[in-house]
Amino acid sequence: MKIVGIAACTAGIAHTYIAKEKLIKAAQQAGHEICMETQGTIGRQDELSAEKINEADVVIIAADVKVSGKERFEGKKIIEIPTEIVIRAPKKLIKRVENLIDEANQVQS
Amino acid sequence: MKNLQLKKHIMTAISYLIPIVVGAGFMLAIGNIGGGSQISDIEEGFGFFDTLTTMGGLVLGLLPLVIATGIAFSIADKPGIAPGMVIGLAAINIQAGFLGGILGGFITGYLTKYITEKLNVPKWAEGLKPMLLIPLISSVLSGLIMYFVIGKPVAIGTVFLQDYLSSLDTSDKILYGVIIGVLASIDYGGPINKVVFAFVLSLQVEGVYEPITVLMLASMVTPFGMAMAYFFQKPFRKNIYTQNEKETLKTAFPMGVVMITEGCYPIILNDLFRCIVATGVGGAVGGALSMLWGADSSVPHGGMLAMVTMTHPLGFLGALLLGSLATAIVLFILKKPVDRNQVRLDDDKEADIDLSSVKIS
Repeated sequence: MKIVGIAACTAGIAHTYIAKEKLIKAAQQAGHEICMETQGTIGRQDELSAEKINEADVVIIAADVKVSGKERFEGKKIIEIPTEIVIRAPKKLIKRVENLIDEANQVQS
Repeated sequence: MKNLQLKKHIMTAISYLIPIVVGAGFMLAIGNIGGGSQISDIEEGFGFFDTLTTMGGLVLGLLPLVIATGIAFSIADKPGIAPGMVIGLAAINIQAGFLGGILGGFITGYLTKYITEKLNVPKWAEGLKPMLLIPLISSVLSGLIMYFVIGKPVAIGTVFLQDYLSSLDTSDKILYGVIIGVLASIDYGGPINKVVFAFVLSLQVEGVYEPITVLMLASMVTPFGMAMAYFFQKPFRKNIYTQNEKETLKTAFPMGVVMITEGCYPIILNDLFRCIVATGVGGAVGGALSMLWGADSSVPHGGMLAMVTMTHPLGFLGALLLGSLATAIVLFILKKPVDRNQVRLDDDKEADIDLSSVKIS
């Protein structure tokens, strides 16, 4: 699966980046390709390219606050969760995402 | 209620507010230390420290505006900004303070969103809608609500709360210190901590500095306590950290000095329950002492650096060290001895969270 995502937390200096790392690690271990953008207090970092977004099967937004640039994901499958979930159970979350995407794909075909 | 996402909106606003308060708070503190005072008459001339004190003070006086604008922006996007500023200023004007700013932000946010979605205009007026109609209508309506409906009661409530908090006796102070200390520390910057943060931050904006200082301390007892516990290992001949955890402490402690708990996460997640107990005890002890000794930070972040803004920095330092000591002792007693060279596969441990509500939106 190809995943793109955004991480953003309230203080914007710690949880944002922990969530990013955990999600990348869990996704890669499960054999997925993943790109994560962070929107911390410093601003946007590792901005997602249009190409990456285009190719992605799913968008994971791990945020406790409003994220900017959501319009980039129009028509995509988006999953929104608080950073807490990613930090505490990243692998379970990836599993859940896999299942959801499978279900959605089956419905489509 | 869940669809309204109240918490997300207030957290978004707080995320914009924090750097503003921290920057301004430090300006005010440095200005005051240098003997600066508010510039009241430009003609009279002013010095370097006067400018810092003045800028800091001006910005801190505008916090109800910042929170109202942030909330309105989070709810209604860009159209929320203009009416959000108006209602924030109205809240300041009618002395409804920070709480007034929060309520006003929600009112104007939802109102603006409603108008933006429901107001249909003829084609020729489409340019007028965002430029004139929305900011004017939304500002007027929400401003009227602030002046004629919620402003006065909120102002009275705020004064009441301030009076109550400034009349606390010793046992009340200790009790509140324990409650804030425990709640703010036990989920390590998670959702409980953030709710407490929103509350103590509103008090800080109203000039009650002690509760937020307890929260700051609560974020620091874990890294400090864990570092202290490290030094108990040799004299008491009990090894509680693995080599990896020791390495973690080297970065976690400096992060703790500036009030970031998250550096300790790897150690915490290895042994969640024992760590929570130790942290809670430290938070309680530190919180009680901090309230008792009147530690009062006028900035909401910064950790040890914030001590320059306090009138009782030594009270803070004492409370922090004793609270951390309590964490260290409890952790040291609770933790099972480990082999220093043991490698823990912390990756496989995950919290038991029900993810069935996670959906594609």
